[in-house]
Amino acid sequence: MEIPPSPQSSPAVRGWKLAVALLSLIGLADSIYLTVQHITGETVRCTIVSGCSEVLSSPYATVGGVPLALLGAVAYFTVFSLATLAAFEYQFVTRLLAIVVGLMFLTTLWLLYLQAFVIGQFCQYCLLSAAITIIITLITLLILRKSVVSSS
Amino acid sequence: MKRFLPFLIILAVLAVAVGAGWFLKSRSSQPTPLVADVPGASPATPSSTPGSNAPVTTKAREPGADPPHSIGPTDAPVTLEEFGDFQCPPCGQLHPELKQIIRAYGSRVRLVYREFPLPAHQHALAAARAAEAAAMQGKFWEMHGLIFETQHSWNEAFDVRPIFEEYARRIGLDVAKFEADITGTRVSNRIFLDQKRGRELGVQGTPTLFLNGREVPFDSLPAQKLRVLINAELARAGG
Repeated sequence: MEIPPSPQSSPAVRGWKLAVALLSLIGLADSIYLTVQHITGETVRCTIVSGCSEVLSSPYATVGGVPLALLGAVAYFTVFSLATLAAFEYQFVTRLLAIVVGLMFLTTLWLLYLQAFVIGQFCQYCLLSAAITIIITLITLLILRKSVVSSS
Repeated sequence: MKRFLPFLIILAVLAVAVGAGWFLKSRSSQPTPLVADVPGASPATPSSTPGSNAPVTTKAREPGADPPHSIGPTDAPVTLEEFGDFQCPPCGQLHPELKQIIRAYGSRVRLVYREFPLPAHQHALAAARAAEAAAMQGKFWEMHGLIFETQHSWNEAFDVRPIFEEYARRIGLDVAKFEADITGTRVSNRIFLDQKRGRELGVQGTPTLFLNGREVPFDSLPAQKLRVLINAELARAGG
């Protein structure tokens, strides 16, 4: 199989792609932890600062019986795979990466809305995931912009 | 080779991710051993076992509300001291587990409940006050059980006062006295003292359970794991 010839991305763009891959690993670890908590039925302890157990025991923590954290883990793994491929000059996946990240960003906004206005509690593990997704989104926008500039 | 490198990295990460998930899941099925309260003390040295007539043996200077709400004899070989918040979902889950433990072990276990309402829960303080006000008429555990068992029904209520008043009526309290006590300083003081004790013991969240003065790891709270720890403690005390 021959890889379609693609323009070499600049070292800076490659660095940003690797940054996305590394960030998604943190998100992956976070979601695996939450998935295991969910599967073993151990909600997280209520603490002085957070409302994690409220958020994770709410009906919004599952989608059609599947723990949301597991979907998060799959999403982060997908982002990691695509970003790694993109960093290794498989340029065509960059657009796919942007689509997945875009969907994750919209999901994150929805989940933040649920925590703030529906459940009324914030969970630090969910906030960590939200922060990672927002940073990944910003970096992805940067990568897209640089790619457009370099290809035009 | 370079062409396959990213795929190798991705496969390695997938393997590590699945492995880590598996490890975390299997670890959660065994109780975590208690950390010894005395540095260097091993379970083989019963000298670190708290004296049998000491009700709650922690080195805390804050005694908490006195007398504490407790079930079981003061000289029971095992004392469980729970710091709880009535509106906290895992505390609600722990409640039937502890009931099961009390039923199974009888006079060998003493359970102490400490109020630790968290500011994140809008009705936690009101619930703690209701339980403490019931205690003024000798019915703490009745109210405690009722509040925990109905957690889902008052959790999202706008005003919980009429709900708890109805509970007071249901367990046969003098409702006028209950209403007066619920806002009284004795109730406030007891909650304050329990929280002070909790803070000194380093309680960060709820439920936090101490077994003979040593904190039980959160993942060992389910009854079947707690039993292993209690049995070990009973063996130490009896040996």
